[in-house]
Amino acid sequence: MWLVLGAGLEPILKTENLWKVYRSGKLELAALRGVSIEVLPGEFISIMGPSGCGKSTLLHVIGGLAQATSGRVLLDGNDLTRMSDAARTLLRRHKVGFVFQRFNLLPTLDAYHNIALAQHIHGNGFDPHRFEAVVELLGLKERLHHKPSELSGGEQQRVAIARAIISEPKIVLADEPTGNLDTRSSDAVLALLRQLNRDLGQTIVMITHNPEAATYGNRVLHMRDGMVVDSVPGD
Amino acid sequence: MIGHLVLRNAVHRPIRTAITVIAVAIEVTLVIIVVGLTSGLLLDTAKRTEGVGADVMVQPPSASVFMAFSGAPMPISIGKKLAQLEYVQAVAPVLVQFNSVNGLDLVYGIQPETFRQVSNGFVFEAGRDLEDPNDILVDDVYARARKVHVGQMLHVLEHDFHVAGIIEHGKGARLFVLMSTLQEMSGAHDKASIFFLKCDRSDHAAAAIDEVSQLLPRYEVRPLKDYMSQITSSSVPGLDVFINVMIGIAVGIGFLVTFLSMYTTIIERTREIGVLKSLGASKGYIVEIILSESSVLCLGGVVVGIGLSYIVRVVLLRIFPALSILITVRWMCLAGLIALLGGLMGAGYPAWLASRKDPVEALAYE
Repeated sequence: MWLVLGAGLEPILKTENLWKVYRSGKLELAALRGVSIEVLPGEFISIMGPSGCGKSTLLHVIGGLAQATSGRVLLDGNDLTRMSDAARTLLRRHKVGFVFQRFNLLPTLDAYHNIALAQHIHGNGFDPHRFEAVVELLGLKERLHHKPSELSGGEQQRVAIARAIISEPKIVLADEPTGNLDTRSSDAVLALLRQLNRDLGQTIVMITHNPEAATYGNRVLHMRDGMVVDSVPGD
Repeated sequence: MIGHLVLRNAVHRPIRTAITVIAVAIEVTLVIIVVGLTSGLLLDTAKRTEGVGADVMVQPPSASVFMAFSGAPMPISIGKKLAQLEYVQAVAPVLVQFNSVNGLDLVYGIQPETFRQVSNGFVFEAGRDLEDPNDILVDDVYARARKVHVGQMLHVLEHDFHVAGIIEHGKGARLFVLMSTLQEMSGAHDKASIFFLKCDRSDHAAAAIDEVSQLLPRYEVRPLKDYMSQITSSSVPGLDVFINVMIGIAVGIGFLVTFLSMYTTIIERTREIGVLKSLGASKGYIVEIILSESSVLCLGGVVVGIGLSYIVRVVLLRIFPALSILITVRWMCLAGLIALLGGLMGAGYPAWLASRKDPVEALAYE
């Protein structure tokens, strides 16, 4: 089903009849079944659905972590489905930022180095101005020299967000970013994502099973059984 | 950044780091000590042979430069012919036997008078020269190592000798008996293993060698001046093979330990690898991290290994004062390089595995 929004702007992300089928011996499981969506630059999209509906799979495919079985994924004009693993890695490096439910910070590095690592992988060297600006925006100045084990859940997720946006990606993909947080921290993180979207124009696609969290986005896509079944405006 | 990540990972897992470093250190120590022992023993033997004071050494045809393998096939009458040569001032026949009872030592059977003419005689620290057929002289290094005193009995070559004197080391062997006694014991009547020649002038050594070569064309005639340079590991049958086998074993140890260490590391850090891939780290980046980590551990092992080599050397020399262990900068560098290469090879497969991990599966790994 096509869900096209707006006119005039080129979508930053577009999927066309996207399928992802997992095969295990003779068993086939279709995690995505003909998903077609568009995300415009500066949009904040929430994707909701029950467990196993394909939300995370969709995120992995559009982020280039997994290869689609059929269909197309256009990310900033690049067709991911025609790319090799190395090319998708390169694209991901420059255009995608990930935020995960379990934060996924490297435990041996402090907050500073966890964020700087993303800049190092990006390949343009350490940019102190950008680094300071991001740290300031996310309120991490006093926590930079603490390891993840010394940070609260909310702080860890802020470090993860800083890591995701430090290299100015075209799109941030957030997989249940508040799934491991208490209510207060969840609200803070969601407010932060909204701020990034509204103030910096950051395009965000966020997966959540929390209806309240979903309303932080401009638009909410509902998924069921590997398909997008509905699209409603957010708050 | 990678350096920081590698160091933090090493510190984060101290036991794994320590075990890997120790294993590489053992590898390095093994190489340095084995080579040092063999080089040291060869060099020590060569120095003491040069220390006899002779100018030329005559051995039977195809004799090894390493005298322990010479045997005794030369008739002693050759000595009289050698003494008549123009540039030869003195000739000392020596019968060499290898003692493997209560240690490994060369025993020189000498004629005290002729040996004195060539070597300017022994410097005695205690006792007297050989007189009795069952007399034995031991050098000070041997005496200290085995706690030997003048007057005590010493069991050498399956024979009980009386320690007549303790001499200063450096004149060939550490043990000296009368040639006639040794000939009797070994059944080599009127035979010698080597003839040491003293020239009238040391710069006549080359001319003396020419004379001897004309007199005894198939015999091995060597100047003692450069004897040390002739003693290498390849002059001892099988020694090169032994050294290479020991190096191979050492590399094997380093390879296996590094392989296991890095393999368990990538299993433990599967999710981290997934995170790095989600950040856009290439396969090459992942491989670089693993190989860098292995290199750092190996380098740590090399440093510890070099230090450990010196400690082992001190301990061995305390227990076996007669040993000589030569630790050279060349072999420290070679041992380090061998350890590093072994470590990189050991980390190669785990690094390749890590680079090929599926990022989605890695991120979901518990």
